[in-house]
Amino acid sequence: MKKFILYSITVLVIAFILPVKTQAIPAFARKYGYNCNMCHTGFTKLNDFGQRFRDNGYQIPGQEGKEKNVFDLAPPLALRLSFGHTLYNNDEGTASSFNLYGLDLLAAGVLHKNISFLFIYTPRIDEPSSIFSGLDSINSNPSQFGRLESANLVFSNIIKDALNIRIGRFEPGYHIISSKRTYYLFQPYEVYLMTSPRNNYTFDDNQIGIEATGHFQGGFKYAAGFTNGTGASADNNNYKDLYLSMTQTLGKGDGQSAGQRIGLFGYYGWQPLTLPGTVIATNGQTNGSDNKTFYRLGVSASANWKTLNMQMIYYLGSDNKALNTLDATKNYKFNGGFVELSYAGFLNNRLIASAMYNWVRPPSYDSDSEVNAYSALCRYYLGDWSAINIAIHAEYTHRITGGATKNKENVFALALDFAF
Amino acid sequence: MQKLLIYPVVLILANPMMLPGQEQPVKPVTAVNVHVLGPQKLGNLSPVVVPPGNPQSSSKILLGKQLYFDTRLSLDNTISCATCHDPAMGWSDAGPTSTGISGQKGGRRSPPVSNAAYSQLQFWDGRAATLEDQAKGPIANPIEMGSTHDVMIRTVEDIPGYVEEFKKVFGTSTITIDMVADAIAAFERTVVTTDSPFDRYVRGDEEALTRMEKKGLEIFNGKGHCTLCHWGPYFSDGRFHNLGVAPTDPASPDEGRFVVTNDPADKGAFKTPTIRDVALRAPYMHNGSEKDLDAGIDLYNKGGRVKDANLDPLILPLSLTKKEKEALVSFMKRAMTSTNPEVSGVKPPSVSDLPK
Ligand code: HEC
Ligand code: HEC
Repeated sequence: MKKFILYSITVLVIAFILPVKTQAIPAFARKYGYNCNMCHTGFTKLNDFGQRFRDNGYQIPGQEGKEKNVFDLAPPLALRLSFGHTLYNNDEGTASSFNLYGLDLLAAGVLHKNISFLFIYTPRIDEPSSIFSGLDSINSNPSQFGRLESANLVFSNIIKDALNIRIGRFEPGYHIISSKRTYYLFQPYEVYLMTSPRNNYTFDDNQIGIEATGHFQGGFKYAAGFTNGTGASADNNNYKDLYLSMTQTLGKGDGQSAGQRIGLFGYYGWQPLTLPGTVIATNGQTNGSDNKTFYRLGVSASANWKTLNMQMIYYLGSDNKALNTLDATKNYKFNGGFVELSYAGFLNNRLIASAMYNWVRPPSYDSDSEVNAYSALCRYYLGDWSAINIAIHAEYTHRITGGATKNKENVFALALDFAF
Repeated sequence: MQKLLIYPVVLILANPMMLPGQEQPVKPVTAVNVHVLGPQKLGNLSPVVVPPGNPQSSSKILLGKQLYFDTRLSLDNTISCATCHDPAMGWSDAGPTSTGISGQKGGRRSPPVSNAAYSQLQFWDGRAATLEDQAKGPIANPIEMGSTHDVMIRTVEDIPGYVEEFKKVFGTSTITIDMVADAIAAFERTVVTTDSPFDRYVRGDEEALTRMEKKGLEIFNGKGHCTLCHWGPYFSDGRFHNLGVAPTDPASPDEGRFVVTNDPADKGAFKTPTIRDVALRAPYMHNGSEKDLDAGIDLYNKGGRVKDANLDPLILPLSLTKKEKEALVSFMKRAMTSTNPEVSGVKPPSVSDLPK
């Protein structure tokens, strides 16, 4: 505890010594000389304009082809790093640790009118982990796997606004509420991580494939895609998973920071029961057979009032009984969601406060997978510079997992979240 | 390839056919040319670019200044450029729209002549490509100065003082409308305001802005989204946007840029005006429909005043708090108001100083 207080003081001292002078993906902010809040309510969450900028292939709507492209600019690189101190406790005891929570290397930009790219690499970090699933895991290695989180090309405005194509590894459009751009550094969107015993599809993962998106005057948006459905791993069958997501914004705004938005999404995929013993293709793919289906079906909503935002997702998952190792007579069915309430305060949204409830309801015979998590956070941004931002981040979660025997955990972390 | 080789040859052949004195076709300024640089950072204005066809000289600037302030250029000797573009009113007028000859009201607000030299296209709808082009308009506009170019030239030719000056500047006593326009444009290119608290702040004077104004600048370039359009040293992208401004007459709204381009995407779109010296020239917008800066910010905060099918995608409700609006206003009020003595102090030459 003493260590923790000492650390808190150090962070605060750093905060006030740092030159708080005026001036995320910071590469974009630098390109235009804009402050982070042009696109973010508070980095990392996008505001309405940020969402439109993203939807338009990282080009300012109306300026396609009239902006500098990556070749006219300094290398469009950015970096995000968070480190800090964590206190963890469950029924067995308490642990405290300094952590390097994560490091992202980003590059993004416009190559040519209506052609842009996004590249996010997370290097492997062989350091104490910050994945809190018990006292043992606090020091598990590595804390971060080396992977290409995103590597994609966007062809925008193939039909103006109505058709844009993204190919490569990307964040699929059914992530209406992005776990990559959440304020929460520690508490995940639990339901995004939920998997049934024999299905290696994870809702949260970025996928490899192709996606079409479009948006229309009346506030309607769609995203539809074909993907492997295996995240960063090679494909395991010859079926491609498919999905469709639709949202409608009511009132002015895009539903991110103004206006109200409702949405509907569905995902349909195939998992093989039989995998050939050896990989059949040079790239690691297998032509798994006995493919069984699974689906996810959900709704989303976002409402805004002044600087208050409420967003939620709820979805049902169902995996074919052949994939259910726990009870082969039934399809594995679960549901879950989260509700998140965020407030932006102080001039230029310097302060973000948020509370969130996550729940996952597995079938009764898998009650160990049940989750109820109550979280709260506070982020204070040290500046609103155009090329860099640092937030002091405090986050607390009380998490109860399991059905019959409940496991209670508390996580508290104080961190610096840093992007330039 | 063949075409490419022939092209320069044709150009060379075509050139000598342009006889001296013959009007050179005005090269249309294409949108891409204007905007090729994309959003630029806010900063200090660089020196005005002078077109090769109309070099500056002190005698030409003086002549232009006299013409600018001379009511005799209008049909009934009541209106000069300065009537509607008054240095004491931020080079605009009291508004909401301009009043021309015989008290006739126009439909649009008078934009500032100060810094107009940095504007790539002139007028709210960009229908004139250059200041020279622009200056010819008001003289012959029936509701502005109400004259014709011929009548105006005859008036000027009857004033020996002017004949002498034109001879000195242009080397001929045959006065043409182009000379009048060149002289006025040369004067306008000197009306630049480069010394506001904002400019001093950018040059490194940390004290030039108050805490509140710095916050305002931060919001201008961040949460307020203002620099999406009001960017670069001129605080304007030179493009045309539909902000959902309340039309003066909803039954027949001003269609703005659409009238020039016939592109449906330009319906109700107007040129982004500069923010420099903006506090000096309320009311705001192309029709003067926003009475002050607070009202103007309120329009943006609501995501447009009226519903418009052609609303610019960059216009979104902003969720600005009261404090944030105040900070924005304070930035636009004092920090953007210039103190250039040579500009804010420009006094109309007294009638006795005008050529006789
Ligand atoms: C009766 C009032 C009136 C008079 C007199 C007048 N103007 Fe204007 N001026 C306006 C209005 C109104 C506009 C905008 C019209 C539009 O955009 O359609 C304008 C536009 C302009 C612009 C374009 C600025 C910009 O940013 O687009 C310039 C430059 C200008 N005037 C210069 C002059 C000069 C030079 C004269 C004298 C020869 C003159 N004006 C006389 C009212 C007037
Ligand atoms: C989408 C582009 C765009 C954005 C974003 C934008 N403006 Fe404007 N601004 C314009 C255009 C275009 C006009 C003229 C519109 C008209 O008259 O119809 C204008 C007019 C103004 C005027 C009136 C100036 C005058 O001389 O009449 C002010 C003041 C102003 N803007 C301030 C702001 C502020 C403050 C913000 C940010 C909160 C902002 N603008 C954001 C494009 C924009």
